[in-house]
Amino acid sequence: MDMLTQESYKSDIKPIFCPGCGDYGVDAALTKAFVDLQIDPDNTVVVSGIGCSSSLPHDLKTYGIHGIHGRALPVAEGVKLANRNLNVIAVGGDGDGYGIGAGHFVHAIRRNIDITYIVMNNEIYGLTTGQASPTSMIGQKTKSTPFGVIERPINPLALALASGATYVARGFSGDPMHLAKLIGGGMKHAGFSLIDVQSPCVSFNKLNTYDWFRKRVYKLEDSGYNPNDIMKAYEKALEFDMDPNKFPIGVFYETTSPEYEDLDVTLKAGTAVGWNAPKKEEVANVLNEYTTEYA
Amino acid sequence: MEGISIRISGANGDGIESAGALLSQLLAHNGLYVFGFRGYQSVIRGGLVWYQLKASNSRVYSIGNGVDVFVALTMDALAAGLSNMGENGIVIYDSTVIKTTPAANAKVQFVGVPLMEIALKSGGSFIYRNSVAIGIIGKLLGIDEKTIDIAVGKAFKRKPEEIETNMKVVNSGYDFPINAKLEKKLAIGNAPLEKYLLNGNSAIAIGAYAAGCKFYAAYPMTPASSIMEWFALHEPLGIFFKQTEDEIAAINMTIGAASTGARAMCGTSGGGFSLMVEALGLAGMLEVPIVVVESQRSGPSTGLPTKTEQGDLLFAIHASQGEFPRIVLAPRSIEECFYMTAEAFNLADRYQCPVILMVDLFMSEHSESVDIDPEKVAEERGEIAAASDQQTGRFMRYKITDRGVSPRSLPGSKGLAFVASSDEHDEYGSLISDVLAGIPKYVELRKKMHDKRMRKLDTMLDDGAIGMPTVVNDGADVFMLTFGSTTESATEALELLKSRGINAGLISFAYLHPMPSDRVKKLLEGKRLIDVECNATGQLAKLIAMNTGMVVRDKVLKYDGEAITSREIADGIANYVGKV
Ligand SMILES: Cc1ncc(C[n+]2csc(CCOP(=O)(O)OP(=O)(O)O)c2C)c(N)n1
Ligand SMILES: [Mg+2]
Repeated sequence: MDMLTQESYKSDIKPIFCPGCGDYGVDAALTKAFVDLQIDPDNTVVVSGIGCSSSLPHDLKTYGIHGIHGRALPVAEGVKLANRNLNVIAVGGDGDGYGIGAGHFVHAIRRNIDITYIVMNNEIYGLTTGQASPTSMIGQKTKSTPFGVIERPINPLALALASGATYVARGFSGDPMHLAKLIGGGMKHAGFSLIDVQSPCVSFNKLNTYDWFRKRVYKLEDSGYNPNDIMKAYEKALEFDMDPNKFPIGVFYETTSPEYEDLDVTLKAGTAVGWNAPKKEEVANVLNEYTTEYA
Repeated sequence: MEGISIRISGANGDGIESAGALLSQLLAHNGLYVFGFRGYQSVIRGGLVWYQLKASNSRVYSIGNGVDVFVALTMDALAAGLSNMGENGIVIYDSTVIKTTPAANAKVQFVGVPLMEIALKSGGSFIYRNSVAIGIIGKLLGIDEKTIDIAVGKAFKRKPEEIETNMKVVNSGYDFPINAKLEKKLAIGNAPLEKYLLNGNSAIAIGAYAAGCKFYAAYPMTPASSIMEWFALHEPLGIFFKQTEDEIAAINMTIGAASTGARAMCGTSGGGFSLMVEALGLAGMLEVPIVVVESQRSGPSTGLPTKTEQGDLLFAIHASQGEFPRIVLAPRSIEECFYMTAEAFNLADRYQCPVILMVDLFMSEHSESVDIDPEKVAEERGEIAAASDQQTGRFMRYKITDRGVSPRSLPGSKGLAFVASSDEHDEYGSLISDVLAGIPKYVELRKKMHDKRMRKLDTMLDDGAIGMPTVVNDGADVFMLTFGSTTESATEALELLKSRGINAGLISFAYLHPMPSDRVKKLLEGKRLIDVECNATGQLAKLIAMNTGMVVRDKVLKYDGEAITSREIADGIANYVGKV
């Protein structure tokens, strides 16, 4: 087979992102990861919810499901559980994943289904033109918080760790090459992987800008960090909360743990659940549990 | 339609349901039709429970109007059950625990039997009182002791260590010299008339299995939970089952699974269905075939969690924003629970839309002896795109066609990738919302795409895929209108009405939406119609008015949580036609 290039994955649809939007970096990093792993686009489903970021599947030549707000994960889980041979990637925004979809987030993680979840976290509701998101920082003024945010932001990495995540990473869309590695690592990882991507919204978030991130971001791997220690991972996940000048990116935690698909009685056979109806005798056998005969 | 009604009642934990199930089995095996139902309260210990069944030599459509044999294990059970007694019925109460003898009643015979004492003496404990009752009832009905032993053996197949004691206890009940006479007689046979004894939820689950359903997702909610428990237990058959974090996840997972081509279903009751509503529209917009079971209980809100009602019909037909094709079915019997579930998958695949299967607590949980033939299940998978369909370089998943149905492709198929989008989209699936909305070309296209989807409703009607209501007694003077579970009681009411000199007929709906309006109008025109439903507003009558313009004013409605009985229906009809 011919080598697949980034062009092999890019559709002719122009992304709806604003000029300068961080999500372009995620588009680029994702297709880069596809190339690195030579992913078959016809065997890949990218699932999203609703938000600017959730329009990403349209930019690709893979199969895509652009569902409803907050429900990317359950749709993606359904795809993967029905056909575990597909590569399944879920994408969306911080509102989508950590707000309206937060309930699904913790459960998808604890199941450890083999899905890669990329959250384009811009600390704002982009598509609805700039209301506070669950990751907006305290004090931030948005259209829905004109006097400043007074709720503590969600810490998605710590929440993922507490939910039993087996691969937790954070990237920065200002560094797509690094991000591609994190996404590729997530795709190779057996089980659920979370890649929270700091992806600036140039239109509605004037606080968490590229510059704001560049001043704080550093790479965990450059500091000799070992991602196999859960307590260290918690520490790093909380670092920015302790020291607002430090914003680590990289793989925070990685461990091996059985995938849901390998534990489930039906799925451990290793194949898709399939298509064919049972034979009539098989149905009759099941009905026989209800027989009125005594034999 | 003579038959015998038997009721056993006590507190939760007294083994009422297992006694009812065992009795039903025993009678079904002995050449009788059986129809049984358990009434219970939403408490785990101590609440009142009853199991009532009717057995007859001809087909049975209800648990009966008057109880012939009533076994009461507690004072509460006795008090609650007396009003249901029939003429000359026998009330057997546990005289070990019920010390105050019930007031004499000309209508019924009271017989105190020390059920607890018998249970203890024959090696059982307090919880074996139900087994004593089985022995006593078996004897009263004239069933041979040996078949009862076999039935006990079968009932305890999974707990072999319990068989011996239970048989001893049952036999002691059988041998107790009971001083009562059952006037009605049943012709006891020695071979079953029907092959199976099962309830609506089991029939739905097996119907889904027979249709090739490979994926079921649900969150526990009475009365749909037993479907989930069936799938959980039967996962080794190769059907994937997932208990989800909520009903929103259940339906979204189902949509994901169905997108891969797997036949997928989710199930819930009204409260959970309310949570599923947004995603129901997603299935409509993505044109993904899914089946949703909605087993109604009494509402609104938490309502009466363990009681029945048909209050969600119009909700199911209209649930979710915007307009999109869907199909709503309401099986009218246990057999239809099986066949229509299988059919629901065919309809979903052929028309690529959600199919809602409406049942209710009474249909989900009552058992009947029935015959089901898996050979009658046909599989129709609808239009699936082949690689040769890819002509333009990009696959046109939502191609505008005359029928409104466009061949779908399944992930993994080469060269047929597309994005399914909840936003309005073009024939490829690409967005025409946001940036393109308002541009004349796309305004036009939006209308075309909406028309394409909606056209499927006409197509399914033109195909004859949506059945007409069933008419019983064409030449009747007055017709009852029913849908779903009330149909069986109404069928039984036909005979009651006949005996009162009323020539009644029945028009029952199993296909509720879309409705072949003109044909239904023609069928109903010129007939004296009375609507019979378990809700307070007559939703079927409203639906008929909406579709045909015909207003049915006379209604027999019940919404106290119990299923409507044939006597209640007959009284209601007689009231309207003036022959009380
Ligand atoms: C049920 C529902 N509620 C609200 C909306 C409106 N809505 C669309 S996108 C969005 C938030 C988007 O924010 P985020 O998920 O962070 O994505 P972003 O646009 O920032 O990438 C909301 C509230 C919706 N589409 N559906
Ligand atoms: Mg956002």
